[in-house]
Amino acid sequence: MKISGSNELLEQIQNNNLCVGCGACVGICPYFKAHKGKVAMTFSCDRTEGRCYAHCPGTETDYDVLANELFNKPYEEKPIGNYIKIYGAKAGEKAVNGSFQNGGTVTTLMKFAMEKGLIDSAVLTDSIDMIPDPQIVTKSDEIGNFSSTKYMASPTVSKFNEAIKMGHKKIGVVGTPCQMKAIGKIKSNPLDREEFKKPETFLIGLFCTWAVDTKNFIKLLESKTDISKIKSMDIPPPPAEVFILKTETEAIEIPLDDIRKIVPEGCSLCPDMTCEWADISVGAFEGRSGWNTLIVRTKKGEELINSAISEGYLTVEEFPDENVTHLTKGSVGKKKRGLAKREELMKSMDQNDNGSATAPSVVGFR
Amino acid sequence: MSIFTEEQNGTRHLLMGNEAIVRGAIEAGLDVAAGYPGTPSSEIIETLAKYAEKNNHYVEWSVNEKVALEVAAAGSFSGLRSLAVMKQPGLNVASDFLLHLSASGTRGPMVLLCADDPGALSSINEGETRFYARLMEIPLIEPGNFQEAKDMMKWAFELSEEIRNIVLVRTVTRLSHASGNVTLGERKESVGKAFFKNDGFILDPMEGSVMSAPVAYKHGEQQVKLKRCAEIFEKSPFNVYEGPVNPELLIITSSICDLYSKEAVSLLNAEKRVGILKLGTTFPLPPKLIEQYLAKADKILIVEEVLPFLEESIKVLAAELAPTIGAKQFFGKANGDIPMVNELNPDIVVTALSSILGIEYKEVDEEYKKRASEICFFGSPARETTFCPGCPHRASFFSINKNISMDNRSGFTCGDIGCYSMGMLPGGFSTLKTLHAMGSGTGLASGFGKMTKFGMEQPVVSVCGDSTFFHSAMPPLVNAIHNNSNLTMIVLDNSGTAMTGFQPHPGLEVDATGSEAPKIDIPSVCKGMGVNVEVCDPFDLAKTQETLFKFLESDGVNVLVLKQICALSPEKKGKKMFNMSIDDSVCLGGECGCNKMCTRVLSCPGLIWDRETEKSTINDVICIGCGVCASVCPSGAIKKEEA
Repeated sequence: MKISGSNELLEQIQNNNLCVGCGACVGICPYFKAHKGKVAMTFSCDRTEGRCYAHCPGTETDYDVLANELFNKPYEEKPIGNYIKIYGAKAGEKAVNGSFQNGGTVTTLMKFAMEKGLIDSAVLTDSIDMIPDPQIVTKSDEIGNFSSTKYMASPTVSKFNEAIKMGHKKIGVVGTPCQMKAIGKIKSNPLDREEFKKPETFLIGLFCTWAVDTKNFIKLLESKTDISKIKSMDIPPPPAEVFILKTETEAIEIPLDDIRKIVPEGCSLCPDMTCEWADISVGAFEGRSGWNTLIVRTKKGEELINSAISEGYLTVEEFPDENVTHLTKGSVGKKKRGLAKREELMKSMDQNDNGSATAPSVVGFR
Repeated sequence: MSIFTEEQNGTRHLLMGNEAIVRGAIEAGLDVAAGYPGTPSSEIIETLAKYAEKNNHYVEWSVNEKVALEVAAAGSFSGLRSLAVMKQPGLNVASDFLLHLSASGTRGPMVLLCADDPGALSSINEGETRFYARLMEIPLIEPGNFQEAKDMMKWAFELSEEIRNIVLVRTVTRLSHASGNVTLGERKESVGKAFFKNDGFILDPMEGSVMSAPVAYKHGEQQVKLKRCAEIFEKSPFNVYEGPVNPELLIITSSICDLYSKEAVSLLNAEKRVGILKLGTTFPLPPKLIEQYLAKADKILIVEEVLPFLEESIKVLAAELAPTIGAKQFFGKANGDIPMVNELNPDIVVTALSSILGIEYKEVDEEYKKRASEICFFGSPARETTFCPGCPHRASFFSINKNISMDNRSGFTCGDIGCYSMGMLPGGFSTLKTLHAMGSGTGLASGFGKMTKFGMEQPVVSVCGDSTFFHSAMPPLVNAIHNNSNLTMIVLDNSGTAMTGFQPHPGLEVDATGSEAPKIDIPSVCKGMGVNVEVCDPFDLAKTQETLFKFLESDGVNVLVLKQICALSPEKKGKKMFNMSIDDSVCLGGECGCNKMCTRVLSCPGLIWDRETEKSTINDVICIGCGVCASVCPSGAIKKEEA
């Protein structure tokens, strides 16, 4: 696998409009910066090998390396990735109440992980004037302020980079599939840098079908209402096909088709719905409001879940087989669409090949 | 003892061309001088201003060239001897008034001195003054050496007095900025007493109203004056022929090209074959004199810089004279022997001469030439044109470029004229995307800011200097505000007309002569226009970038004044704000995570990349301690300590 530099990153990802703004290239050097959901290079860099390229979830990735790192075995090509168990879950009676998107599982578990000393810091995403604003949190009672889905691309990984720089050794992260993939690549330390040697992590992945472009999303919301009055956002389960904005006085429905128009091009290439590169993954529990789907993927994840259950922080129930089938179907659908789109893109790049541009390929996934 | 205040008639001095011009004006009995700084003309007003009090002159740096010409004209209308000074692009600015002035005529002697810059050594154009003489129908004279620079300047005032119209004197960089021997002449008394007569008969040129109407009548009068000039020019001692009685080839030339021609003829040992007619009076041409010399040779080579001004006039004359002098063969711009761009030099003239005369000429030994070009190409380190160490513009462009990149909407910056024009170059992070006349950056931005109607979503920024703000950026700013345009105007205020040598401008508390003067505050002016304005120190990168982001993302017109005095200004020179140092153990050098941010990107000459240790170091000799590099260092290796 060839590791290139920032010029190749720009050529292959940014210039092809494939950047999803995860922030993996941000916070490691003075050149890449995130602003309002977009990542940009401010000054040129002539290095031929860089972490910006090596860590980007859009560049060539060896899935076997990621799987060995997280699961101690090669990549297995399962529709919903490697897992030990799937639960229906929600915050337990000991958890602090809050305004959660669904069951409060993510907030509760991150808080629990910090209180138990599994992590010394957590990279979470807040928002300022609607714009996603990732932060490093070191106090467990602040974790509750970060609940609720942002729907927008967020440069969360930049704060993971920063946390390492600051010297945090055990870092918890809540993020989307692209962000978790980037963290997997960072942890594999492809450039063999001393300070990136295996930081301990606890990774909670979020199910994701797509995110939306921040600026365009805010523009769309501004066309519907005064955005400072928005209290919550939600996508009710199918067949609703709407996005709902709630203010104190009204609920505004936006057709999902309008939302899909502002999904970044890079998202359409993503083959991962259930966030495979995490210790646990959490999403909505379709058909059961106030509950989450919880996929336990690693030993570390399993241990934490078990103690959270036994100490009353998490309430779980069996996840019905028909829901597993449904989840698998959804995951396969996203994989097929993502890989087809990637193939199409690679073909078009080959056709326009001017000798320099190469499409990012996936190794280990066929 | 100064030659600019004393008589010193008959003494000989080594003078810069511009100093000779000043002495010429003083010998002519000057009263009033006004100008706007611009290389290569700036030393003229500067020198006059320095001695203004002793000489009882009124000298000012005007807000722009048009106003300078108007101020000087007021001197002339009051019966005084007056001078306006500018570089060629300034003449474009002043030309509107000049068209009317040349038609109304002058009273006291009035001279307009324009300095051209063929080859654009200190300009972004090689505009021509000479064609204005034809367009405005005023006499043009051009000194060809340092003595003439003084003598012709003095004579220009006499000529103006005789024809009662403005006289255009043209100099070029290689005359204005080189030095040569000059023998001084007698100093005339200044007029010293001003009165504007205006109650005479309306058409009385000396006592009536001064104006260009009635147009046909005044225009006719103007052309009579020009005819009179041609007659005077027939006997001018500044038109000189040197060479054999009947040369094989006649060179007709003017200005500094006379020296190039003489040198070329001498290098080719062609003195017996070539004659040189050097013209000091280039518009209108004296036809009889031209006829006399055209008749002597069959082959004519015209040697002049840039456009074929002389060549075309002489060809017209030759066509009219063909029945008496016969057909001539012309060499010059039209046949390609003399290039139409860039300045000339003796080599170019030698090349033209050797081909016309069939003389083989080798400038240097082939082997030597080969070695020299090898050494020049491979042996000398590549050095980019860049800002001085500690220049506030570097910090400003760093922030502008960074913000526009991060904003990610393909925003761009319209440039303007000053040191900061170098924002075009890698040393200024290639931030500027347009560069034209003074004030044009904001004018263009005002237009770009209205292209939203056609789907343009790119944020628009313009930059202008403090002196440029007063010169010509206020009208486009007013335009942008009134027409609801969207732009961020950044005034790069370094407290002086820095590029041309710190001449004062209306934003400062001193005038040209160093006396106290009311200062016009740029932010207050902008506020008065009703526009949002903020002032930041460009060395405070964080605050500057925060403010700029806010402006880039807001609608309408916003002005950001980035105020920090020029690193070379006399007030600041030698005073360090911080002592800078670099911690080797922290410096990442070329590693991923930095890759020489300070020496490769910021590129301040005060920073040195040490090839051996592969770390950055501070060049203590030239570092002025602005502290900006400490702000851009990603690893905190660069330390600043209050000096």
